[in-house]
Amino acid sequence: MQQSNCKEILLWLTRRRQRCRVMGPSMLPLLSSDDEVLVDLLAYRYKPPLVGDIVIARHPTRVELQIIKRIKGVDEDGRYQLRGENPDSTRNSPVLVPLSLILGRVTSRFAAS
Amino acid sequence: MKRLIRTIQKLFPARMTASAHCDGPCGVYDPASARIAAEAVLSMTKKILAIDPDDRSHAVMNSLSRYITIKEEQAQLAKTDLLILWTDYFKPQHLEQHPDLHDIFWQAAKLCSAVKVEVSVEKAEELMEVIKKIHTIFWATKGREVAYYTAG
Repeated sequence: MQQSNCKEILLWLTRRRQRCRVMGPSMLPLLSSDDEVLVDLLAYRYKPPLVGDIVIARHPTRVELQIIKRIKGVDEDGRYQLRGENPDSTRNSPVLVPLSLILGRVTSRFAAS
Repeated sequence: MKRLIRTIQKLFPARMTASAHCDGPCGVYDPASARIAAEAVLSMTKKILAIDPDDRSHAVMNSLSRYITIKEEQAQLAKTDLLILWTDYFKPQHLEQHPDLHDIFWQAAKLCSAVKVEVSVEKAEELMEVIKKIHTIFWATKGREVAYYTAG
């Protein structure tokens, strides 16, 4: 994942990107707990998510919970299969969500290192 | 750019958060992950204290730096794993059976912070003891007897 460049920071400053802090290990090794990412909340307004996108979504059964996962596929009912990056399956559970629960696309890592 | 981002993060913490832990329907939880991280903290703490503070050789300073980094990473990992267990696994009915549950987790989280910033074998051992209590409660809620053990 690319680091936030000047364009991304400018988009954040103009509120076209939101900062979001990752909590938990399911996106390791790509993202660690406490890493920050920039999210485009309008990314899917006019075009659908693509397999491979890293997204922020509402959990289908716990709507108060926002999750960060990668889109691994789309099922025949149009639901998106989301999964973390962590190869350790005990830290990585698949989730099926409809498009309405996908909030935005992660565009870069907002990191100082 | 790095300095700018670091300053922004320090002055204006991100308000939005996204969970990246086992938050789905898999239901796989185990306090063992926190125990392993806490054991690493204890081990690194002992290694740091075993270093001769008068030895300023590059090799020793390199080792010291590595021990500190690992100690802090593992303390944070232990805290994260415990908080996931606390907030995601344990339910109100567990609290009825174990009224001291919140106190135990709160104590564990505070100890994770303490062992991260300090070099205290006592606190690292205290953390291990609290994690042992959590292990006992956790497996009791599942109606299983799982022996507590350490790798060290």
